[in-house]
Parts: sequence; C-alpha cells; structure tokens
Amino acid sequence: MSLPRIAGYALAAVVLLALPFAGSHYEHFLLNTALIYTLIALSLVILIGYAGQISIGHAGFWALGAFASAILVTKTGAPFLVGVLFGGIVAAVFGALVAIPALRVQGHYLAIATLGFALIVQQTLFEWESLTGGRQGMFVPRPSLAGHEFTDDFGYYYIILAIVVPFFLLTVRLPKTRFGRRLIALKLSPLAAASFGVNRARYLTAAFTLSAFLTGISGALYAHMIGHLATETFSLITSLSFLTMAVIGGILSPVGAVLGGIYLTVAPEFLREFKSLQMVIYGVLLVLFMRFLPHGLASLPKRVWTGIQRRRALKTSSALPEGRSHD
Amino acid sequence: MIVQLIISGLAIGSVYALLALAMVLIHKATDVVNFAQGEMAMFTTFLCFALLHGLGLPVLLVFLLSLPIGFLLGAVIERVIIQPIATDPPVNLLIVTIGLFIIFNNLAGAIWGYDPHTFPSLFSKEPMDLLGARVASNSVGMIVVAVLVMGSLYLFFEKTREGTAMRAASMNRRAARLMGISVPRVWMMSWGLAGAIGGVAGVLTAPMTFLDFEMMVAVLLKAFAGAILGGFNSLPGAVLGGLVIGLLETMFGALVSTAFKDTFAFCIIILVLMIRPTGLFGRSGIKKV
Repeated sequence: MSLPRIAGYALAAVVLLALPFAGSHYEHFLLNTALIYTLIALSLVILIGYAGQISIGHAGFWALGAFASAILVTKTGAPFLVGVLFGGIVAAVFGALVAIPALRVQGHYLAIATLGFALIVQQTLFEWESLTGGRQGMFVPRPSLAGHEFTDDFGYYYIILAIVVPFFLLTVRLPKTRFGRRLIALKLSPLAAASFGVNRARYLTAAFTLSAFLTGISGALYAHMIGHLATETFSLITSLSFLTMAVIGGILSPVGAVLGGIYLTVAPEFLREFKSLQMVIYGVLLVLFMRFLPHGLASLPKRVWTGIQRRRALKTSSALPEGRSHD
Repeated sequence: MIVQLIISGLAIGSVYALLALAMVLIHKATDVVNFAQGEMAMFTTFLCFALLHGLGLPVLLVFLLSLPIGFLLGAVIERVIIQPIATDPPVNLLIVTIGLFIIFNNLAGAIWGYDPHTFPSLFSKEPMDLLGARVASNSVGMIVVAVLVMGSLYLFFEKTREGTAMRAASMNRRAARLMGISVPRVWMMSWGLAGAIGGVAGVLTAPMTFLDFEMMVAVLLKAFAGAILGGFNSLPGAVLGGLVIGLLETMFGALVSTAFKDTFAFCIIILVLMIRPTGLFGRSGIKKV
C-alpha cells in the first residue's frame, strides 16, 4: 500500500471516529441512519454494479432482517449481536430462495420476482399479528453489548460503524477477488464468461444472497435504533428509494454507496417542504442521472476533470485550420 | 356459481391480458421490460377521469379517448426519455422505467389526491343472463372490449404495412433497417400502442376497483405473471397467460383465501420459472456468438 493511500485511510478513520463529537442527539440519529442506508447501498453496488442484476424488492429483505432480529431478541432474550446476525441470515436464505428460480433464465426475471417478493413479505408481516404485532407493529429493545445498554445513538454509532466498515472494505476488495472478477465478467459478456466455464446462475445467486445478507444486517441495525417497527415502513416506495439512492450515489463504487447513504438521509430533510412531490423528485432524479450521469455522484470529479482536459485539448487544436472544435 | 366464477375470472383476466400484451409488445420491439406500464395506464385513466369531470364529456367518449391519450403518453415517453439512452446497458433502461413508475405513481397522488374515486362503468349495473346463470354485465363487457382490442391488434399486425414493418423489426432489426424500415419509428409506435392498450386496461379496471394511484400495482404483478406464463416474447402467449392467471386467481380467492390472492400470482411466477422458464409459448433464445 502506498503512503498517500495509508494517509487517506488514516484520515478517514480519524474523521469517522471524531464525527459524533461534533453533533447533537438528532445529528447522531442522522449519522446512524446514513450508515444503515450505506450498508444497503453497498449491497446494491454488489448486486447492480458488479453483477449487473437488479432488485426492486430490497425493502423486503430489510424488513426480514429487522423483524427477524426483533423477534429473536424479544421472544428468546438472545443477545443483540446474535439478533443482528440472525437478521442477516434470514434475509440471505430468502434471498437465495427468490434468486435460484429467477436466475435460471436470462433477462430481468429477478427484478420481477423481487417486486412480487417484497409485496408478499409486507403483506405477510402485516397479517401475521401474533408474531409481528400486525397493524400495531412491535417494540424492539435498544442495542446492548456485554450487559451495557446503549440508550442513546452516540454509543450505538460506534457499533454500527464497526459493522459497516468491514462490509465497505469487503465491497472495495470484491472486484479484485476471483469471485468478483467472475461477476463482472458475467455482467460485461454473459456468453464469453460462460464459455470460460463460469456458471452464471450459481455466481449470480451467490451475489444476490450476499446482497440480501448485507441488507438484512442493515434492517436489524435499523430495528434496534428506531425502537418500533411498523410494516408500512417496508413498502414498495422504500425499495424504490433504496434503488434511487444507489444510482444517485454511484452504482459502480463503494464510495458512491456512502454518498448514496448520505443522500437518502439528507434529502428528506431538504425535500420535506415539497411534501407529496418528494417522491416525484426522486423519480425525476433517477431518470436524469441515468441520462446524464449514469455512474452517479461518485463519478462527478472524474467527469469534470476529463471535461476540463477535453476543453483544453480543443483550445489547442482550434488553432489549426481544420480543428474539430466547431463540429 | 361456477359460470359466475368463470366469467368474473375471465373479466379480470382480460385486464391482466391487456397489460401483459402491452409489456410484451414493448419487450419484443425494444428488449425493455417496462415497469411503468401499469402506472402509465393508471395515469391515462386519471386523465380520462379529469376529462369526464372537468369537461363533462360522456362516458363512452371518455372511454374511447383512453386510446389516443394512452398512445400519446407512450410515444412521447419513448421519444423524449427512452430513445436517447436506447443503446445503454439494459439495466440502465430498466432503472429508467422504474424512475417513470415512481414519477407517475406519485404525480397522480399529488394531483388527484390519495383517496379512491369512483369511476363510472360503460355497462349497465343490472346483471344479465348467460348460460342460465346471472352474471354481472360489467364482467361480460370487459371481456368483449378486451376481445375487440386484441382482434384489432391482430388485424393491424397482419394486414397493414405499418404492422408488418413492426413485426419485421422485432424479428431482425438489421435486416429491417436494410429494407428501409425506420427502427426508431417502430420503437415509438410500439410504446404508443402499448400505452393505448394499457389505457384501455386502466379504464376497464377503474370501475371495478375504484380509481386511485395504487390501483395498477397489483395488476402489474399479475400481468407480469401472465406474461411470464406465456413466455414474455409471444403476444398470444401474453393473452392466454393473463386469462389463466385471472381464472386461477378468482378460483383461489373464492375457494381458499382472499387475503393471499396477491401471493398467489407470485407463486405462479416462481413455479413457472422453476418448471418451464421459457413459459408456455416462449422459445428459448439461441444466441450466435
């Protein structure tokens, strides 16, 4: 690792550790929310950015993680961290169950299957009153570690950070591994990858399961932060907001996932005055980003840089009689 | 009892069939799965609703107007939003149709409110006699309208120059272009036609379920199930798939459980993908390298 790189990581670590000291209660809550969203955005970077598949039902996996952890902790008194892990595993198992049939065929069947799946999860959680509280929802205990209960979001921030950062590094690392390279090969050319012996269905199912696992963990962390779960939180709108966040941040990069997480936390604060038009703005942003900045905010610096360089190149070439600058 | 169930199953099935038809039409022409199809249909229905109450136009006229309104909506979306990114990766196009879903869904709520509205039916409220059973006139009317739309679509594709050009372009884009067919025009036509068919599905659904901004979300899922059952690349397959889903769902609702009717469509999707992923009429794609 080069020196500037180490310095960069060290700086990021210091900033992340110091951040909560600057804010108030509400800002701690926003910080935690941003981290929880970042984890979902990371799961979508793996799924959409690396594997080239799409999910319109991640709220379903988020709900499974949240309710699984909440139910385990309240009904059996299991420790908080066990609940979080359990949330991730439940989401991953259901992820595999949805992906296995849907990924046997080429095309966008996974997107359709996840859309249906998320609607079913929400409906089932609503109807299953004895387990989830149905219409009333259910209360979730605050996170606790080794007998110490974290009653405010200041301490909880560090727990979430300790869980999200390894997943961030995993997502950064993934494209350099055998598994990640195969996923990207499948996205770029399914035929070429298959002819080199990459099993499409198996690798994409693994990617989807991993993605559902991350989202399940995020759901569990959310449940213990928010304290009360209501099934209407996990609607289609939520799934679509997740997708918007991942696209706007930048679907190809883990840094984009962080930007996306910040965006989804901050945007409602600014868009609140637009009320019912808030989601319309999300949709318009989604369409505009796909048209003009398909790799999201994370690609903006590079985009601006190449733009400046191109303009410079054009200036020097326009001195020539047959410059292409007026095309 | 059984006749009533079959008629109401076919009636709701014809709505699924129309929406499935619209999606397969676009998919055949442009390889895009349009997730906004249901919301476009809902929005078209709301525009008709505005004409009905704003200008006081008669119900029959509003009903007929759903065709050009839907067509315009589809064609404009294709020209303005889809065409500029037509050569982008398929995932990008899919995300854009999801963006359109969000836009139409929430715009309708913002403009016309979140409460359901009643939408008048074209057909009489009196039940009618059919095969010795009393069935709802509305159900019979829905089936008749759907058959008319499908019949004219068939004639359009088989008998007109424009329709033949569209079929040619979906079979082999390159050869069609060499024959002087404008592929961008075909794409716009496909989106327009799909919008019009969706519009009819919308005005047929609204009298039955009340008109609101979420009216078409469940219908879209069932139309997907129908299209997958039919093979996603076959127009007759989409129609048959939609009808089968409507019939099975009505039977399931009457005999087993109404609360989990929506779950049922999802199970069909998974079942088809597991047993016969190419659907009843689909051919498995063979790609040349």
